Order: sequence, then structure tokens, then C-alpha cells
Amino acid sequence: MTDLTQTATRSEVQPPQGRLAGQTFARLLQGGLIIVILYLSLYALYFYQQPRALSAGSIAALMNNTVPLALAAAGQTFVIISRGFDLSVAGVISVCNVVMAVYPLDGPGGAIMSILMCVAIGGSVGAVNGFLVAYLRLQSIAATLATMIICQGVALVILNAPGGRVADWLSYELTDRLFKTIPISGLFVLAVVLAWLYLRRTSFGISLYAIGADEHAASLSGINVRKVRFFTFVSAGVLYGLAGFMLSAQTATGNPTSGTPLLLLSFAAVALGGTSLAGGKGSLFASVMGAATLMLLQKVLFSSGVSSFYTGVFQGCVLVIAVVFSGLIEKLGERAAKL
Amino acid sequence: MSNETATLSQTGDTRKAARIKRETVSTIAIAIICVVLLYLSRFISPALGSWSQVETVLILGSFLVVVAFGQGLVILTGGLDLSIPALITLGGVLSTTAVGAGNPDAWYLLPAALLACGFVGFLSAVGVVWLRVPPFIMTMATSIIVASAALGITKGTPRGYAPDAAVALMKSHILGLPSPIVFVIGFVFLGWLLQERSPLGRYLYAIGTNAEASRIAGVPVTAMQIFPYVISAMCAGFAGFMLVGYSSGATLRMGDDYLLPSIAAVVIGGSSILGGQGSFLGTVGGAFLLTILGTIISAIGLEFGLRTIIEGTIILIALLLLREELFNRIRSIRRKA
Repeated sequence: MTDLTQTATRSEVQPPQGRLAGQTFARLLQGGLIIVILYLSLYALYFYQQPRALSAGSIAALMNNTVPLALAAAGQTFVIISRGFDLSVAGVISVCNVVMAVYPLDGPGGAIMSILMCVAIGGSVGAVNGFLVAYLRLQSIAATLATMIICQGVALVILNAPGGRVADWLSYELTDRLFKTIPISGLFVLAVVLAWLYLRRTSFGISLYAIGADEHAASLSGINVRKVRFFTFVSAGVLYGLAGFMLSAQTATGNPTSGTPLLLLSFAAVALGGTSLAGGKGSLFASVMGAATLMLLQKVLFSSGVSSFYTGVFQGCVLVIAVVFSGLIEKLGERAAKL
Repeated sequence: MSNETATLSQTGDTRKAARIKRETVSTIAIAIICVVLLYLSRFISPALGSWSQVETVLILGSFLVVVAFGQGLVILTGGLDLSIPALITLGGVLSTTAVGAGNPDAWYLLPAALLACGFVGFLSAVGVVWLRVPPFIMTMATSIIVASAALGITKGTPRGYAPDAAVALMKSHILGLPSPIVFVIGFVFLGWLLQERSPLGRYLYAIGTNAEASRIAGVPVTAMQIFPYVISAMCAGFAGFMLVGYSSGATLRMGDDYLLPSIAAVVIGGSSILGGQGSFLGTVGGAFLLTILGTIISAIGLEFGLRTIIEGTIILIALLLLREELFNRIRSIRRKA
């Protein structure tokens, strides 16, 4: 296992000189260059419409809106890279949200307890998914469909109608800014992205890509496919738990169906980030940027005076155009890497 | 030489037998589960387990059978159709606003509404086949676009009434049987012919198994990849029309409850989500199984949350029972015997 990793890195370190530029380009593309450019140009448009868009307050507001979806998309990325689908994201977020609204724990200590609770909920649902998919060999979309429905039921049992109240400390502090500039919610996403950048280089990260690209080859080269797949779902679940935690801090109230809107949007964010749904490719950072772009698009449409009824028409078109475009660019990048 | 031919034909034989058995076994297993559940439901509530419950299940399940047929064709070719809820809504809204409101004589608008739905499906197919957008993303995008256009055009509240044809389809009797039951029997027969017994259906299986190989073998792959999306969109639109006839009106969320069940029916019915495998009769069984569960669970009188938990658990158990490994094990036992 370690041998394999080392050989892989060694051969990557010394490419023939001419290929270097092309490969760097290709790697940047995989890391989400396109989506960052798209995001920045959209932000420029937003700034053009609303000069206040660059104030710390409105950046923080946008960030707070984005964070739950960004974390959900981050978790979804794990599963998609391993060539699976995870529908349980909607269920986990709803359960975390109602738990936080029905059992509010105030103060910094309460916040830590709540975050641990959410992570535990997400992690255990992820473990169930992982067990069903990796060890009992159910199709991931079917197994997570079942766990999603069960989670939604659990959320309804805990709180059968919207209501309840999330602890004040959480809803104030987590949506606030550090030193009046840095949005606190953004720090959570930053931490997740940094953890990902580390994880990607570990043997778990490399195995994750390997089983997504070709499960059979991965298992022949000594990767414990079941174990990696299991922990993929657990990590995803933990991130959904965090997403539920941040969503509760933002909405400050409980709703047993709060996770449902995030289900399809999390896939949209991943696809917008250029991660292939066929597995083996992609980047968590790009998915986070994809989520940010989707939320920013809503703001831009709103400030351009488009009726909120029609927001979906634009979201859908942008999604298709972005996916087609990133496919084209990726092909160009591959060609450049071959030169 | 003769020995060699013998071995060859033998291996060919076992493979064919194994394939037929898997799909037949899962279809029969689902049918048995359905019957047993219907019978056992007698003990849950005296109102259940009677002929009238069978009628209810057949009527309520007819919507799911229609959409699951389209979903099944798309899944067969290795795709997935997430635009079903939006197209159910579109079908419903078009039939109430265009035909139901004021001009009941304009029957020709109904096929036009179906064609409009088919056109949306065609657009999804164009994205999937020519622009190479993953089906999951493409149909999700058309779904978001159609849903939001329907929302915008109706300004949030669809008006109009159910057209007479829709009411006649869902609420009348033919030879003493409720007409939707007669319809669903005919639909299942036609669907079975199309998927299992027509060259078109064989093409779809071939593409789902290996698109590149079928292209080399002379299958018109591009046309055959467009076809399921168009059919699925028209089925969803027609289900919207049926729902309008059943509940006498359209709402913008009327399709939402059918997306996940349509996928679940196909998967429970023994199809692989990766394509190339499965049977329409299995899907029909899956659709009725889900409907029976729904009626039983709602008769228990538990609170909604607990009912949802039970539903999810039963889907999970069905998936575990119908696992491929299980069939392999049964098969190997039989081979030893």
C-alpha cells in the first residue's frame, strides 16, 4: 500500500520538461480554476450592480448563506469521487437541525456539545450507509435513498412541524464576524478545505480516487476497497452533520424538512465544480466554489430584478453551460498535457 | 473437435439460463411479497386485505407504474431521469389551463400538451447525447428550469379544471372494473411488449450493457439514447394528466412525491442503476409493492414520522432481500443439487 503510494508520487514528481506547463495547467483545471474564474466574474457583476457588495457585512451575509450548501457539497464530493451517490445528505441535515432546535445548548460549551452531536449523527448515518454499500454491496443510490427516508422520519418524530429555537449563542456568534471582518462561518469551510488538502495526499485520499477510477484495479493493487468505501461514507456523513449544524445556526429555528432543498443543490454544486459524476476525479475545493457560485447567482439575479419565480430557469441554464464548458476546457487541458 | 463444440454450447446455455432466471426470480419474488403483504394487512386493520383494497392499490399505483416505465427505460440505457416531478407538474398544469379552463372541446390540445412534455425530454436527451452532460445533471437542470417556468407562468397558483377526458379516464367503469385498472393493465402489456419483446427494447438493453459494442454491432445508438428520455417525459406528462383527473386539479408540487419512488420502483424491481439489466414486470411489481406499503402504513394510524421510518426500513429490507448475491447463492445451490 505505502509502496504503491510512493511509486505513484515519484513518477509524478519528475515529468519530462516539456510536459510540465501542460500538466500544471491540467492540475489547476482539476483543482477548480474554471469555477473560481466563474465565481469572480459573477462577483464583479454583483459589485457592478450593488457597490455595497464588497463591504464586510454583505460578504459575511453571503458567506453565511453559502456555508451549509458548501459543507453538504463537500461531503457529497467524497462519495462522488469514490463513484457513488449519497442521498442521505437531506436526511442528516434535517435530523441535526431538529435536534439542535429541540435540545438547544447555550454558551460556548453548549456549542461544542452541539457540534459533537451533529458530527456523531452524521458519522453514524454515514457508517450505516458505508456498511450497506461497502459490505452488503447495495447500490449506493438505493441504500442512501432508504437511509434518507428513515432519517426524514426520525426528524419528523423529533419535531413534527417547523418550530423550536436554536440556542441564541450559536445563532449570534456563528453568523458573526471575527475582528469585524472575517466571517466565522467561513472559517469552518476553510478548516474543511485545509483538512481535505491534507487528506488528499494521504493513502486514504489516493485510494479514494483509485477506487472511483477503477474499483477492480484498485483492489488488485492492494487497496482495501471495502474499508476505503466505508470511511468515504463516514467522512461524508460527518460533513453533512457540520452542514446541519451551520444551517441551524443560520436559520435559528427547526424544520423537519430543512435538508430537502439541499439534496439536488449539493449535486449541482459538485457538478458545477467540474467533478465528474462517473467518479475518480474531482476536488472538494471546486465543489465548495460551485456551492458559492450557486448562492451568488441567486443574489445577482435578485439584484438584477429577475422575479424569484424564474431563478430556477437561470440556475438550470448556468448549470448546463458550466458543465459543457468545463468538459470542453478539460479536453483542451488533456490535449495540452499530452503535447 | 466435437468435444469442443459441446463445451462451447454448454457454457452458452448456462449463461442464458442464469440470466433469465435472475430476472424471473426477482419478479416472482416481488409478486409473492405483494400478495403476502396484501393478505397479512388483514390483521393490521379489518378494512384492509379485501378486494376493495386491491382496487385502491391498483388505482393509486397506476401513476407510479406510468412514470416508472419511463424511468426504467432511461435507467436501462445507463441514465437517470430527475425531471419526472417537473414534467408531471407540466402535464397537469397544461391540461388544466389549456383544456380544462373554458374550452373543453379543444381535445386536440391534450396530445399537444403531451408533445410539449416530449419536447422537454428531447432537450434533456440533446444535452446528454450531444453535449455529453451527465444524465443526472442534465435532467436535474431541465427539471429546475421547467419547474421554475411553470411557477412563473402560473404566478404560483395554477388555475383551471380537470378536462373531461382526464376525469373519464380516472373515474369511470369499464365492464364493472374501474377504468384506471383497465388502463394500467393495457399499459403494462404495451410497456412489456416495447421493452422486452420489440427490437427497440433489445437495442436499449444492448446500449445499457455496452454502448460502444452496440454501436459497432450496428445499433443506432444516438437515436436509441434520445428515445427513452422522450418516452419518460411523455409518461410523466401523462401521469400529470391522470393525477389531474383523479384529484380534479393541478398543483405546482403535485409531482414531488414521485421522483424517489420512481427510482425506488425500478431498483426494487431488480434493475441495475448502472443500466443493461432489469425487467419492466419487475418494475411494475416494485411500484405496486411501494403502493401497498403506503396504504398499509397509512392505515396503521401512527404519526407521520414513524410511518416514514417504517417505509424506509421496509425499502431497505426489500433491497437486502433482492440483492444480487442472494440470487447467485440460490443459483449455486441449485446448480450443486
